[in-house]
Amino acid sequence: MEFKVRSYRFNPEVDTQAYYKEYAIQDFPGMTVLNALMKIKYELDGTLSFRRSCRSAICGSCAMKINGITKLACKTQVKPEIMKFGIVNVEPLANMPVVRDLIVDQEGFFDTIKAIKPYLLTEGENEELSGFKTLKEGEKIKQPVYSREQFKNLTGNNDTPNCILCECCYSECNGVSGNKKYLGPAALAKLYRYSEDPRDNDRDVSRLLNGSKPDGMWDCVHCQACEEFCPKGISPVKAIVRLHEKTIKNSITSTPGAKHVVSIAQSIKKTGKLDEAKVALGTAGIAGVIRDLPVVISAALKGKMPPLKLEPIKNMDDVKLAYKELGLEEK
Amino acid sequence: MIRYAYYPGCVAQESGKELDNATRFVAKKLNIDLIPMPEASCCGGGALDGFDKNLKLFINGRTLALAEKMGVDILTICNTCTLTLSEVNEELINNSESLDKTNEYLSKIGLRYSGKVKIKHLLYVVRDEIGFDALKKMVVKNLNGINIAPFYGCHILRPSTVVKFDDVESPTGFEELIMALGGEPVSYANRTKCCGFQTILVDRAQSSYLSGSAILEAKGKKADVMVTPCPLCHLSLDMYQSAAGKSVNEKLSMPVMHLPQLIGIALGANFAEMGFSRHNVSLKPLSERIGI
Repeated sequence: MEFKVRSYRFNPEVDTQAYYKEYAIQDFPGMTVLNALMKIKYELDGTLSFRRSCRSAICGSCAMKINGITKLACKTQVKPEIMKFGIVNVEPLANMPVVRDLIVDQEGFFDTIKAIKPYLLTEGENEELSGFKTLKEGEKIKQPVYSREQFKNLTGNNDTPNCILCECCYSECNGVSGNKKYLGPAALAKLYRYSEDPRDNDRDVSRLLNGSKPDGMWDCVHCQACEEFCPKGISPVKAIVRLHEKTIKNSITSTPGAKHVVSIAQSIKKTGKLDEAKVALGTAGIAGVIRDLPVVISAALKGKMPPLKLEPIKNMDDVKLAYKELGLEEK
Repeated sequence: MIRYAYYPGCVAQESGKELDNATRFVAKKLNIDLIPMPEASCCGGGALDGFDKNLKLFINGRTLALAEKMGVDILTICNTCTLTLSEVNEELINNSESLDKTNEYLSKIGLRYSGKVKIKHLLYVVRDEIGFDALKKMVVKNLNGINIAPFYGCHILRPSTVVKFDDVESPTGFEELIMALGGEPVSYANRTKCCGFQTILVDRAQSSYLSGSAILEAKGKKADVMVTPCPLCHLSLDMYQSAAGKSVNEKLSMPVMHLPQLIGIALGANFAEMGFSRHNVSLKPLSERIGI
């Protein structure tokens, strides 16, 4: 079968603006998009530039937009793409500047990974168990012993340590689209991973405090795109939500994001409902309400102001019991 | 008559009452019996999960158990309620530890859940239970010539392992509905993107940029109106449209309808019945053009 690949092209040395170029090629059974791109590069147009390495969905180099969705070219077969879209349209990853053709500048992405300190914190920990020293004669190496149970949140086929840093989630992340400084799903999932590692020596919850800063964990928009489009089956958004829970349980609740979550939980505890007015006030404070006065006035004029006092749902005690059972009455 | 436990969500009962009213109008026309759930609580959206994972299970397990006791599936009109209830349902069906834990709580309030309930959004109830061909025959006010931009939002599509209504890469349900009503669906990339509601009170610049980009793209594609199946998206796109416009350096004036309002006018509802006067961006010019 002959099919068309339509590729985004841009060479800053000669092009004033990006354009698309089409290539007609023959497929073979099981042909991947990466196979197709390599065929183009070797047989039709050696100037087409793209990253690739392992061809086995392990290195994460060949992530790109294929028919509008970020995927690994080596893991994406041509045939279903053609059947669905009639063409293989390839573009560089989103949320990152283009270097040339399908190659993006990854520096911003890796800055987010560096920002969360992707290594075990050991400084200042038990000196007996860390650092280098000469063993005395007959002295045995002392090593901490951990149980499998202590790693339960870090293991499993779909868990965060399996991240290959391919940037598929970062490219699809709506939160990053709205705020280029946002740490994004890969970095925050990694932050959760280190915060759960029993070997990590973060005694003053610095990881959670750093992650709570502006452009951090509370900028997740819950669009679920990171989970949907991760080629390794990881769910960064679920890790981020666990990070939220952990942060709140550690009483780091002064940020608007944490206040928002607590306000909603308190509202449900009181009435079983989401009290829009109180949640807005609890999250943004008086200053936020003043900032939004035009919206508030407009809503009032249109009759859209939520009621100031909500009637609780029927059998409200059932909901209160849920809080009691979980020891959340006072939270 | 098709029967569903009606779970409108909180916003449709508070600031977005026009959505609840439009849904009831449409349900009556389509012969869908919406059974009220006065005991059902707020689902807590993504927030309750971030407060306490088990609380999310208990609170929503209770809602599922209430529907199971009623012997019916749940009909939703909010994307986030749809996802949250579906997530909990999947967890309770697939994880016996979670189910046992939740049932232990439920037993104390005289309830039990066994995993029989399905959660369905109105859009896909219309597609699967009514059928777009049947809907087409019921249209009394054809929307011919009106460019309608469907804004799916996130939680009605993703994650597709949990909400399994449509093709997550290239959904068609909304467009097919618009065509059944005689309208022209507008094709634009932002139709499946985020409206930014989640961070509207947390990071306004981020949130506004997302909603602004979507509205701007729909405008560029000559949309006369945007339509959303989610009241949270509606708040972001309509109520906060001024901030969205500033974010993308454009004065925006895009009317935004709730999904049942669009169906409602095609089935003969008038301006007042659909509560259009409650919208921030006026629907008057469009309504006059349609002739309602």
